[in-house]
Amino acid sequence: MSRAACPESSLLTARRGDMCYCPGCSHAAVLESLGAAMDRMGLRPEEVCIVSDIGCIGTADRYFSCHTFHGLHGRSITYAEGIKRARPGMSVIVLIGDGGCGIGTAHLVHAARRGIGIKILVCNNFNFGMTGGQHSPTTPPEARTATTPGGAVERPFDICQTVIANGAAHAGRFSALDADLSDKIEAALRSPGFALLDIWELCTAYFVPSNKFKPTSFLPLSETFGLPLGLLRDMPTEVASTHQPEPPLTSRPSASPPSIAALAWPGRREICIAGSAGQRIRSAAGVLGEIAVAGGLFAAQLDDFPITVRKGHSVSELIVSDRPIRYSGVDRPDLVLILSDDGARRLGELSSLPAGCRVIADAAVTLPVIKASLQFIDLASLEKSSGRASAALAALCLGVLVQGWLDGPTVESAVGALGGRYVEGNLAAVRAARGCFDETARTQPHAALFPEAAS
Amino acid sequence: MREFLTGNQTVVRGALRAGCDFFAGYPITPASSILSDFVDAFADGGGRAVQTEDEIAAIGQCIGAAMTGARALTATSGPGMSLYSENIGLAQMGEVPLVIVDCQRMGPATGGATATGEGDVLFARHITSGGYPLPVLAATNAATAYRLTHEAFNIAERLRTPVILLSSKDIALTRQTVDLDEIPLAEKRARTMHGSDGDFHPYRVAELDDVPAFAPIGGPARVRFTGSIHDEEGLLTIDRRKIDRKLRHLDAKIQGARTSLELFDADIDPDAEALVICYGATDGAARDAVDEARSMGRRVSRLTLYSLWPVPGDAVRRAVTSYVRHLIVPELNIGLYVEEIRRVVRHGKISSLTRFDGGLIAPRTILNAVMEGFCG
Repeated sequence: MSRAACPESSLLTARRGDMCYCPGCSHAAVLESLGAAMDRMGLRPEEVCIVSDIGCIGTADRYFSCHTFHGLHGRSITYAEGIKRARPGMSVIVLIGDGGCGIGTAHLVHAARRGIGIKILVCNNFNFGMTGGQHSPTTPPEARTATTPGGAVERPFDICQTVIANGAAHAGRFSALDADLSDKIEAALRSPGFALLDIWELCTAYFVPSNKFKPTSFLPLSETFGLPLGLLRDMPTEVASTHQPEPPLTSRPSASPPSIAALAWPGRREICIAGSAGQRIRSAAGVLGEIAVAGGLFAAQLDDFPITVRKGHSVSELIVSDRPIRYSGVDRPDLVLILSDDGARRLGELSSLPAGCRVIADAAVTLPVIKASLQFIDLASLEKSSGRASAALAALCLGVLVQGWLDGPTVESAVGALGGRYVEGNLAAVRAARGCFDETARTQPHAALFPEAAS
Repeated sequence: MREFLTGNQTVVRGALRAGCDFFAGYPITPASSILSDFVDAFADGGGRAVQTEDEIAAIGQCIGAAMTGARALTATSGPGMSLYSENIGLAQMGEVPLVIVDCQRMGPATGGATATGEGDVLFARHITSGGYPLPVLAATNAATAYRLTHEAFNIAERLRTPVILLSSKDIALTRQTVDLDEIPLAEKRARTMHGSDGDFHPYRVAELDDVPAFAPIGGPARVRFTGSIHDEEGLLTIDRRKIDRKLRHLDAKIQGARTSLELFDADIDPDAEALVICYGATDGAARDAVDEARSMGRRVSRLTLYSLWPVPGDAVRRAVTSYVRHLIVPELNIGLYVEEIRRVVRHGKISSLTRFDGGLIAPRTILNAVMEGFCG
């Protein structure tokens, strides 16, 4: 098969002598083989994008008449994936060196794993040519480079096995000097899945003279380090095809905002709910915020939580107001609910709470002496009637009822109208709060749930 | 219709309204819900949402998609912005329309993932090598996060540039009452496309501050994209005249649009003696503080900056009316942007109010600073 490309009709528009590569450099041979392969396949320039990485091979984009993209070192694989996702019908071909496969290893591995059908040609000349012949991830042990003057010691990076282990549909290791390289490239381009060829090359500027490296060096290198040459993976088309779909996307249902009867609310009220992760503190604040907004009021909810998920404190600051809220911080709370020691510790100094502030705390929580009006509830008992997941909301509803901001029937009908995935639990919370609150005597809450008040 | 939404939710809604059809991101607090919301939003096939192996791949995929014509957005927090740095330079050099949302957190490095901070205001401007400008906007709450995301797309499309929108934890994750239908949006802009006739020159501009016409990778006109210094054909060049022209153009297209990039809200009392200049999450407290000071008979103005870069110098100068002798600049960092204000306003007392422990600056703190100016 002829490697000579015809500049008049080929996607490759430069002749070897006009390319910028050193005499004897293998890059030109790879580009000619790529051009021949694309021409044989009848690819049109508008349906191909060559994405060139960095280093000597990164200059190759200019020699092609198709779409070209020249980006950053090792990142060519990411641009190629973006292009391929947005234009699945295009042939997207990455030209990258051994250095690029090192700095971009993460992208290489995950592109292979995801199976988006990009094609990667690795022009592997065992060192960094453009920057002065430093060692690369594929430099074999004992090889002399600018940065391994005493001989390289690291194991060479097996690019092919890396992508095969992670799901590549097509992978092979060949010599740039193979007469049928364009056939190998064509086979890779025809694979519907992720394909990579590790093409061994001669860097006549550095690696060849420094190591007396010759075309005949490829075979012993392959045998010594267990890097077999040849086609190493070729999934059948029907298997590879199923290997490249976009990941299935699943939609979570999103409820349309409810409409509930307008709520009357006494001005601006600031609430702080302090508890532990897992108590659904933020959800509780969210429910009150949502019914407020759906009821024509304004709300703001600012949450404070550590980086842990089911451990540590969870504090929600909730403002509900009949006027727009501009500053979302709670600096002078009217109501503070303390539902765990984690929450109490996070609130820290409570002595600054004003006398007009009502604090409702679980009786099991250790608290300092405070100026604010303090009442205890038995959260465990509340949990029994509301369910554990809804206890924080039950406590919050109780607080709202005790404060007289909304009455029980209003809260219950609003929560019901709000609906949503957790509506049953939310309603259980409201009913639990109503059950332990005497609506006819607002200031005389149920004794059992307010042990301190009862004593 | 009023809704109870976080700033992250309104970013997604604003992006969809602006025609966003590609998102790639990597999970990071407090930006993660933008990723999951886009996954949900594009489940109908109206776009692509990708979770990548890291932030570098996230912005890389966005850049690739944007060059095929997609309207792309990526979102992260400070540590991810550090990883975006190199590719933001690529997007500048290659003239890629791209919106980047930075949900800021407290401190350097991993800092406080779940704590607020707005310390990326200078970093955003100087995020990449070379020193060329890029527009930076700053949301103040869920409502402006919506409007400014939409605006960021307009700027990115119009100028073919990456645009950074700053949010922060207490905007990103705080739920607020917003009515998106009531928020006025500018008319949606699209990048200028190369016509079907005539040769395509990927980076040709008639004037330095013009923006090159766009043709998509995959379309009939052959696109040559590069992050290396290039001529109008997208070919690597060592011709100093061409280099000079290209780099002047990168500066001129942003500077030329300076006036239209000044986004702000000014509440000016022409007789004001004090002026509060704020941006980001301090805006709400500043508004409350200014109202309170006025109710106490003080003459105070407020200027909220929605665009930070280029520095909206004209807006700042106009806000400093004849009798203003005290400026207060509250910031959730060590006092970074106040230095930019000092470059613009060279007289009077300028007070820097700072907080960077993860909490918000309260209205009372700003009010006290305003009142101190009157006493002193």
